[in-house]
This record gives sequence, structure tokens and C-alpha cells, in this order.
Amino acid sequence: MRQEPRLRRNGVGARRPRHEDERHLHGRGKFVADLDLPGVQEVAFLRSQVAHGRLLAVTKPEGIDESRIWTAEDLAPFALPLTATSTLPGFRAAPLPNLAEGKVRYVGEPVALAMAGSRAEAEDLAALIDVDIEALPAAVHIENLTDPDSPRVHDEWPDNIFATTQGTVGDVDVAAAEAAVSITREYKLNRQAVVPLETRAVAAHYDRNIDQLVVWSSTQTPHMLRDMLAELLNIEGRRLRVIAPDMGGGFGAKCSIYPEEVALAAIALQVTHPVRWIEDRWEAMVATTQARDHAYRITAHASADGRLLGVEADIRVNAGAYSVHPWTATMDASMSAAMIPGPYLLENYRFTTHSLASNKAPLGPYRGVARPGACFAIERTIDDLAHELGLEPWEMRVRNMVTPDLMPFTSIARKVYDSGNYPEAVRRATQLMDHDEWRRRQADRPVSGRRRLGIGYASFTEQTAHGCIEWASRGLAITIGKEGARLVLDSTGAFTLYVGIKSHGQGLETTLGQVISEVFDIDPASVTVIHGDTALTPRGDGTFASRSMVMAGGASFGAASQLAEKVLAIGADLLKVDASTLSFTDGKVVGETGGISLSQLAREFLFTPDHVPNVDGGLEATYFYQPEVQTGAFTYATHAAVVEVDLDTGEVDLLDYGVVEDCGTVVNPLIVDGQIIGGVAQGLGSALLEELVYDDDGQPKSTSFLDYLLPGPVEVPELKIEHMETPSPYTVFGMKGAGEGGAIAPPAAVANAVTDALREFGALINETPVTPERVWQALQVADRERNDA
Amino acid sequence: MSTVTVKVNVNGTPRTIEVESRTSLADLLRDRVRLTGTHLGCEQGVCGSCTVLMDGLPVRSCLTLAASCDGAEVVTVEGLDDADAHRLRQHFSTEGALQCGFCTSGMLVTGYELVRRRTEMDRDQVACALAGNICRCTGYNGIIRAVQKANDDGMAVDDLT
Repeated sequence: MRQEPRLRRNGVGARRPRHEDERHLHGRGKFVADLDLPGVQEVAFLRSQVAHGRLLAVTKPEGIDESRIWTAEDLAPFALPLTATSTLPGFRAAPLPNLAEGKVRYVGEPVALAMAGSRAEAEDLAALIDVDIEALPAAVHIENLTDPDSPRVHDEWPDNIFATTQGTVGDVDVAAAEAAVSITREYKLNRQAVVPLETRAVAAHYDRNIDQLVVWSSTQTPHMLRDMLAELLNIEGRRLRVIAPDMGGGFGAKCSIYPEEVALAAIALQVTHPVRWIEDRWEAMVATTQARDHAYRITAHASADGRLLGVEADIRVNAGAYSVHPWTATMDASMSAAMIPGPYLLENYRFTTHSLASNKAPLGPYRGVARPGACFAIERTIDDLAHELGLEPWEMRVRNMVTPDLMPFTSIARKVYDSGNYPEAVRRATQLMDHDEWRRRQADRPVSGRRRLGIGYASFTEQTAHGCIEWASRGLAITIGKEGARLVLDSTGAFTLYVGIKSHGQGLETTLGQVISEVFDIDPASVTVIHGDTALTPRGDGTFASRSMVMAGGASFGAASQLAEKVLAIGADLLKVDASTLSFTDGKVVGETGGISLSQLAREFLFTPDHVPNVDGGLEATYFYQPEVQTGAFTYATHAAVVEVDLDTGEVDLLDYGVVEDCGTVVNPLIVDGQIIGGVAQGLGSALLEELVYDDDGQPKSTSFLDYLLPGPVEVPELKIEHMETPSPYTVFGMKGAGEGGAIAPPAAVANAVTDALREFGALINETPVTPERVWQALQVADRERNDA
Repeated sequence: MSTVTVKVNVNGTPRTIEVESRTSLADLLRDRVRLTGTHLGCEQGVCGSCTVLMDGLPVRSCLTLAASCDGAEVVTVEGLDDADAHRLRQHFSTEGALQCGFCTSGMLVTGYELVRRRTEMDRDQVACALAGNICRCTGYNGIIRAVQKANDDGMAVDDLT
């Protein structure tokens, strides 16, 4: 359903300030914590302080109103645990308890809850609950989880493996035999927190007047949450309304179904007052789904002229204690396997994945999901191959990339790369960064100096807005892939757009308004966009997988097109002309001989339908969008980083960072650039700063912003961004997703740049975050290896 | 639980409020004055979302005890309404300085106090001055540009009224 943008005035392509800004700039946003809920009881969860243990007893304090404290036993009759299932062969399910029973499996796992008039009082009360846990040895680090003597997270399993997958395309052994050079590398991306600045938040109230349970949650997936709550609480969906108000970011941390949501919803049905839980930062660092924790062993083979002949990948992911719904613990590993071939013409590929259980918090989606790991694995390898062959790493990329004449191209992992010029993005990145100048400066550095310059690149393809079949291929039991929109024209001639998608801060109220403007030629700010309320909006799956603009935008365009047809029919009736002679200009229906404003037209049609006898009633349209190509629309980019490395301290200074990317037709450059810069900032956090450290007992050691370092204003340079706009042939307006790309490449680009800076010493940067200590260690290792040799 | 009575001027309105002794300024503002524009991002004094002005200087309202504000003048994001605040907001919007809006209140309050100093600042100085505020969405580029532009505007008019 390719549709060219027609007007490009205020609509698609316009760099417009966001409609959301006004309320936030005056402190008028309404987040869950800001809701005025008379009589609300604030909830504090009591959580496990040990990573692994037998839960022997949970004892309530004496003399306290029992209804203010809930244990697993109290909650069990009203809520089922959530079991994320998968169709992958051999997958082991691990039901996610709402409150722990029998065993605790990570620090932060909810054990009981207490409620009171304020959070402080609820915490006081929770502190009186006596929890008896017999601590067990914990399975923690990715290196040890499959050891025969490793503690087992789930007693009934024979090992700690959620699932294993493998695949072979072509013949890697033949490739190896033909290769001029083969290298093997081991990489590790350490565990990260997602850190939306607004923590998770849930409130629930049972409205007895209309028999409706209202659940407010800071969730990216309100419709999915409603469906699952109905299942787990065993009540009909019609009695459940989920509202996601303003959200302080999500980035994937808020698109799984959580025990806290289930518990509060279930309890609200049993009490006479609203209940609310606002996660504190410690909870957010230990109990919100986490990310990465990948380990790779890659062997790659190349010909003397720099052609990539074959890749073997062993992928291990430490997925934590449980599978979260609907993604499951295999999400990262299976996606990584599919994304390692990246933008390259690869004919021989073999992979094995292990999704492993541990006594850490469950892994969930985080911007980029597995792609930062896959990108790191292949892009670090490309650089080292290029070095072995004496090629510029960018040149090695250009030689191996899918070229525009092959588009649309089906990758070795059977993904359809729809459009674009991948090698050109690399070439432009070298120009954007002034590559030759940096090489000159690098060469000019005195050998005796203690600071080195490096430049590094990383390229990737970003799968966005994929359909049901893609999700099914990954084993998901819930195959997501359709998005609804309803557009209503009211009697004043104003539009309200109801969408099933949820904007968690990315400006959909603006960009979807621009889509409507594209059809009706109106001011986008005059469109009210209603999102995040299951009682008001048509069904949609939510915001994740860089799908919102393509899919909700596609749905909005579909609804607008249908409504436009009807409005033109009404106009034709009123103006006594043929509808084909009419069009939309500046909020009017205009023909050769005259026109009528949308407000006049709407009044005529809605107040006196008898004046328009030939058109059916209703001034609205509903449309459900699904992708034409199920593997989605592929955005791509090349990132480049320039660093200066201190040889004595291992400190890395980021001197420059550039992005050349192609997300197809850009709907709003201000917003797309914001997505890229914000994504890169998070990626730089992955690359240089952010690490959730767990000790051997599974105790998290970085549970506050004092010891978990986030990028601040000083750490993120002013970015250089260049857009290539190749419209996708398969989407409305040629849009492709832009939400995650920024976060994918920075770890690889930075590690390549630091490795480049240290080439004379042979130090390889193969682990993130690239802390001064790791750089220094890499130099020591290289030094030892040189001395041994 | 012991209580204290706090006389505090909030956004120009004098108030007398009895709170539990352990109550933070943030909770007083949010729960008692119902000014929810002041956001709590970490309650550890690091993220800066809860920044308000106390007697003209930015403070972390999450770490400031309400009891310590007796006699103080407090200004929250809702109370910023002069020409500097207006210019700051304009630049925030056009420079892409906000996305989810959660850190925005703290950024505005910190940025406002900076702009009111009427000191020339380059990009690095603005970035350093904002280093106590975390934004997870924007990557800071827009925020730094917005504050710098509002500062340049303020310097040009040099009018603190």
C-alpha cells in the first residue's frame, strides 16, 4: 500500500514543534503518580534480598489490620501467575509468580505487599512482615550457567537452559577452506538497566457503579495488558479498562506484563478504595526487566580481496530467572541470530543460541533488543578481518554490503531488506566525519605520546514494524502485527483520532496529526490524538519494535482516507457536483465552482442528515493496518565514532560522533532527529558507562544512579546526522521505523574506534561497557601476548 | 510520628502546612499543594527531575526536608512565568529539548536559574551546568542548545524584571 505524501505542507515532512510540549513545559503532564485518586492506598512491595533461596515462611505482624498486607497465599485465589509460552521446540516455560511461592529466584522478586495512606507508611508496614528465606547458592554469571555443578534456578529442570536453537545456511566449512583469513573472537555485552526516568507505576480502582476495573499503568502496551489481566484475573475483558496516561519513557522496560500490575488489579477488585504503586529507583534497578547480558563466540572467514565468505556464531544470553510475557526468555538470542548477517551479502552462516536461566532479574526488551549485541559481534569482527587483510574497515564494509540493484533483497536469515543504498551510507559517513583528516592526525601523533586517536564505524540494518508471521517465526504465542485507528470528524469540523498505539514520549500526538493533515490539509495541531485508553481506542498492540509510526501512521492514514472519501461524497451532494472534482484545501472541500468548510459540511451532515440523503450515517472511519511484508521495513545506518584514548589510565574521550541513516520518508525531522540523538545517547551509555554488576551471590551492586552511570549532558557530544530518504516500497508514505536505530551501533562503533586507537599495541576491545579499567586491561593482555610471542 | 508546621511561600502564595517531620519538600509540593509538575525520578538526589528554586537557588526537593523550608520562598516549574521562562520554553520546544516530559521540569528550573545569572556561556559551560540533571530521551543536544539560546536572548535584553 505505497502512498506518496501528497501535500507535504504541514503534513508529512514538516519540521514541526510537538503538540505535547505545552503541557510538559508547564508541569501539567499527568503521570500515574500525579493522578488524584481520592482514598487511594499506596502500596509498598516487600522484595527478596537474596538471589536464590527457599521461601520458608512469610509472617504478618500481629495486631495489624490484615487487609493491609497481602502475601502469595492471600493473592493466589484472585490471580494466576503469568506463563509466557513459546512454540520453539524444547522451550521450557517458567511461570512468573505474582508474589513468590516456594522459592525466590532473584534479588528484588516481590514476596508480599503492604498498603497505607502514604508510601512511607506502607514501607513502615512492609518492614514489619517477617520473611524467612533459606539462602541457596546462586547461578549468576553467563560463563558458569551451563556448568554441570551450577545451581539450578528451576529445580524441576535438568539444567539452566530455557531453549537452544541452531541453524545452517550454505556451507561454512567450505567457506573456511577457501578463506585467506579466518579469525575467532569472543565478545561480551554486560547487563544493563533500561531506566526510563519515570519508573514503573500502577494504580487500580474497581468502579462498582459501572462494574468496571480501571487499571492505570505506565505501560507501552495497554491493550495487551488488558487482555492478559482478563486472563489472569479470570474476568471478562468488558469489565476491564486499562489507561496509560502520560509516560516518562519506556524504551522496552514497560512493554512486558508485570506481577505488580497483576497484583494491584486483583487486589482492587477486593477492596473499596483505589490502590497505587509507584516503583522507587531501587526497585527499578533490580525488578524492572533488564537487558543485554550477551556472550558471543564468532568465527569469520574472508577472501584475500576482503569478501566475507562465512560466519559461525555461538550466542549465549543470560535471560534471568523467568520468561516475561509475551517476549519469552528466547527473544534476544533468536533475534540476535537473525541480525548477525546485518547489511552484508553473506552466503554461509551457521549459528547456535542458548537462552539461559540465572538468579538475576528477567531480561526484557530494551531499545534495539538483541541488535546492539548482534551489531557488536559482526561489526567488531569486520574490523578485525579488515585489519588482518590490510583494508580500511569502511572499505571492507562497502565491499560486502547488499547493493541497491539487489533491492528488495532477501537476507540469509530470510528477512526482506526493502530499499536503500547501504554502501553509500558508509561512504557518506566517512565524508561526514572527515575520515582522511582523522587518519592524518592519527599518523601525526608522536609515538612517544600517551594519547592515541581512533576512528571506528558500525553499520546495521534495523528491522522495524514487523508483522504477525515474523513474531510467529520467533516462537511467540501472541503474534502481534495489527494496529487500529478511528478518525472522527465532529460537528465543529474538528478531528479526533483514536489509536490503539501508546505514545510513551516520542511525539505521536504530533506525527499522527501530521498524517491526518496530509489527507485533509488541516493544521495538524487541530487534531486531538487519543491514545492509551482501551475503552476509547480501537485495538492495537502498543509501542515497541520501532513500529508505531509505520503501523499506527498507516492505520491513521487508512482511516483518514476512508473518511476523506465519505466527506467528499457529502461535499458532492451539498455542492451538487461530482465528487471526483473535489479536493481538500486549508480545511475546506473545494471544487471548481465553490467550496464548503469542513465545519459547515459536518454541521449539515450531522444536524440535518436529510439534506444529504445519499450518504450513510456516521462521520467516522476505522481502519486496521498490517504490514504488507511481514518481516517489516528495514531502516539502516552507519555510525562513526572518533575517540582519544589515554594509554596510562585507559580513559576514552569521545571527540566526535556521526550518523548516516535512512528511515525512509521522514515524517517530522525534529522528532526523528530526537529519536536518533536520544538513541545514540543510550547507546553511548551501553558503550562506555552502564553496567549492572552482580557479585557471585547474585547481589546487584549497582542499584542507584550513584553507581550505575548514565550519560549526562557532558558525555554526549553534539551529533552529526545525515539522512538518506529512500522510501520503502511497502509502507504508507514509504515510512520506516526510527525508534531504536540510534541505540544499536554505538557500542560497536566506540569499541572499533578504541581498538583502532590501540592497533599498534594489538589491544582488542571486546566487552562493553568500555570502561577505563577494561581498556587498561586490554593493553596489559596485549602486552603479555607480545612478550610471550 | 511527630509533625512540624511549615510556613512556606510557594509560587508567590504564602502557605502554612503541617506535615510529618520526615516529609520531603517534594512530597509537600506534590501531595499537599497538589503541584505535580515537580517529578520524582530517583529520590536519591541524582537525576535532578525534582529540582525547584528555594530562595532563588536550585535544590533537590527530594532530599530537602519540608521542615527546613520554614520561611523560604519556593518556585516550581508551575511558577516560572516571566520573559526568561517564556523564551526558555520556546527554545525547548523548537530545539527538541523534550520528549517524554518527565525530566523537563527539573531541566527548566535549572536552566532558568542559569539564564537569570546573565553570564555568557559556551556549549561546554552550559553542559557542565546542567550535569546535575539526567534526561533519558533527548540525548541532551536540544536541551543544551535551548538553554544556550535562552541565555543569549537574556544577555541581549539584560532585563531581569
